[in-house]
Amino acid sequence: MSTIRERWRVVLLTILIIASGVAIFAPGIGQSAGLTNLQYGLDLAGGARLRAPVVGITAEGVNVTGQNELDIEQNISSQLNVDITDVQARPAQNTVEVFADNVTQQGLRNALQQMGLNPSTVRDGVTAETRQTIVNVLQHKVNALGLSGGSVSIAQAAAGTHFIIIEVPNRDIAEVKEVVDERGVVKIVASFPAPGNKTGTIRKTVLTQGDFASIQPPTTQQGVPVVPVTLTQSAAKDFAAAMLKYGFTTGRGIENCQYQSAPNSSYCILTVLNGEVVYAAGMGGNLAQDIRTGNFNQTGKFVIQTRNMSEARQLQINLQAGALPASLDLENGTANYISSSRAENFKVTTFITALVAVFAVSGVVFLRYGRREVALPMIVTALSEVIILLGFAAAIRLPLTLSHIAGFIAVIGTGVDDLIIIADEVLTEEVSSSHVFKNRFRKALWIIGAAAATTIIAMAPLTQLSLGDLRGFAIITILGVLIGVIITRPAYGDILRELMTDK
Amino acid sequence: MEVFEVSNIDFDRYSNRQLAGVPLLALGIALAIILTWFVLYGTPVFLGIEFTGGTELTLRTQDSPSAIQRTFENEITSIRQIRTQENVYLVTFQSANSDVLASQARSAGYEIEAIETTSPIFGESAQQQALFGLVAAFIGMSIIVFLLFRTFVPSIAVVLSAFSDIVIPIAVMDLLGIELSIGTVAALLMLIGYSVDSDILLNNHVLRRSGSFYESVYRAMRTGVTMTVTSISAMTVMTIVSYLFGIELLTSIGFILVIGLATDLMNTYMLNLSLLRWYKFEGVKR
Repeated sequence: MSTIRERWRVVLLTILIIASGVAIFAPGIGQSAGLTNLQYGLDLAGGARLRAPVVGITAEGVNVTGQNELDIEQNISSQLNVDITDVQARPAQNTVEVFADNVTQQGLRNALQQMGLNPSTVRDGVTAETRQTIVNVLQHKVNALGLSGGSVSIAQAAAGTHFIIIEVPNRDIAEVKEVVDERGVVKIVASFPAPGNKTGTIRKTVLTQGDFASIQPPTTQQGVPVVPVTLTQSAAKDFAAAMLKYGFTTGRGIENCQYQSAPNSSYCILTVLNGEVVYAAGMGGNLAQDIRTGNFNQTGKFVIQTRNMSEARQLQINLQAGALPASLDLENGTANYISSSRAENFKVTTFITALVAVFAVSGVVFLRYGRREVALPMIVTALSEVIILLGFAAAIRLPLTLSHIAGFIAVIGTGVDDLIIIADEVLTEEVSSSHVFKNRFRKALWIIGAAAATTIIAMAPLTQLSLGDLRGFAIITILGVLIGVIITRPAYGDILRELMTDK
Repeated sequence: MEVFEVSNIDFDRYSNRQLAGVPLLALGIALAIILTWFVLYGTPVFLGIEFTGGTELTLRTQDSPSAIQRTFENEITSIRQIRTQENVYLVTFQSANSDVLASQARSAGYEIEAIETTSPIFGESAQQQALFGLVAAFIGMSIIVFLLFRTFVPSIAVVLSAFSDIVIPIAVMDLLGIELSIGTVAALLMLIGYSVDSDILLNNHVLRRSGSFYESVYRAMRTGVTMTVTSISAMTVMTIVSYLFGIELLTSIGFILVIGLATDLMNTYMLNLSLLRWYKFEGVKR
């Protein structure tokens, strides 16, 4: 009976424990400097976290097209008396967003109706596209701090409102707020060969921050990733004049940019962030045509081509100079800070607390059964569930927080409960044969499965809510119960059978 | 050798009415307390700053609590000292302006160990979510229980016990002035999952196993009481240790679980048991 097939659960358990050990302790898997590869979240590592909704209202079901897009933006901005950069019409989504806190839903609805547009709904909040842009910009800024572990994410609250969460290790609240607010200086510079028989290149600033009416999120046009931008009307006129004057619209100027290899003969449009050239592009044929015919003066629209999507995203962030399309309402969110020393202290004391709780469980189990061969595997099995969970956390680099620790304790709790059920079921009378054992074991599994189902269903709503830290707690508990019911707790039954029926 | 043994209680001596009376009375009192709180304070349970909005500062200072009180211009809701750490205080404010509070603390020479700020709007959203989470969890659990047993009385017995397991700890929180925090919500959810374990065990043994009613009950009790006592002892230890270390989250989870699990012992073996006995001996005949 002691074939591998019969004992596959014990074998699987052993493999999982070893794999978890590797994930936790093997050097080079994680990036953390400590003894283990475990990552720690805010309350166990120290740092600051801001959580805030985005300022803005959105009209949905508006008939926005490529033609009326700019028109809508200009009209709405003048009607509502807000900056044109605070109005965003999206043809693909048929939405119009206003990123100003002094505009009401009714105000936006009226303004759109004035234009003969009838939105199906007007709601608080912004579109998913805007949120994603905010997350990208903030992530870029947090990365620029040169600290690993900083993260930006979106969380949804019950009523459909969304929050942006920014977490930065080893910084305080004021520093993180600074990161959110800070902006770089961006300029668009034309670089072209000196005219006549002079040598060298000439650089002229052709656009500055205020010249952009809007910078759209990157899309693809005919398979090429681009960032669509729109200039204000006066800036469009000046830009067109400059392009004509510097020769960008001539045969020599079109699509002739080798900024790295041949700057002296290149016609490049440079994106300069804080004095540094971050992007160089050539003049496109269509745009040159538009400028020559004077069409461009009307639309003020062009796209900047890039080689791939991530480059496009980067360019968009650069063009915005780290500015968020809509501001964060920091007054109506949450802010958390914990000093590194206190977090370090938490790490040690929670470990001790969890350990003491395990000792308490072990003590009661020993007192109750008084048999080492029953109690010892029970404690080892319960602990192995935590080890597997820790290994999983290390492998997916989940930052552990206090709420995860609470989840671990919940897993030990339900685990020991189930093991007691198995032990009692199996030990009620002398186990005569492995058939009798199997029968009883199956009965025990029914109860365990039923109990697991109720625990999982009780925790399930929490995984969908952004209720502070409870998500981590719920996910760990559900995962632990699943690992327990499928692998470790049945494995305990196998171990017990081995120990009981061999006698 | 077994050092502690779950003793058999002679249930035959008590009528169903007597057995169910005690837990039902406890449930009634608990509901009355919660209702009173609702009438007096407008909320069934005191809400922590995570739900009302406000700020909690963890400060290290030589100052006495009354000196701390004078340092801040904003109204202080509570000051608590952490037992095992000298000169560390948890100070809570109604104000959600952490920048102002932090600068007041700094200019008084206090070392800021931690800041937790929630705006009132965010708190309100958290309240709704917590309520939704608890209700959804409870309904989900009830559905699973009904699917498992497919008979009304045994299923409703489990659901009623679980309901009481949550309501009584909430009433205890009211009486002891414990605030509802994210941690206590987690504990209440854990109770929904934990407390039905012993009820499912009892129902399973009585309804699905051979043997007399009392034999089944005693067998279920042996296992069930061991389970609950193990959990209670682990949680008691965790509550004490985490309280000494000042880990609020674990303290509140532990404390609520101890109360809830103790309540569960009563509800499972008095309320659930009497309903089950009525169903087995009288209900089925009808």
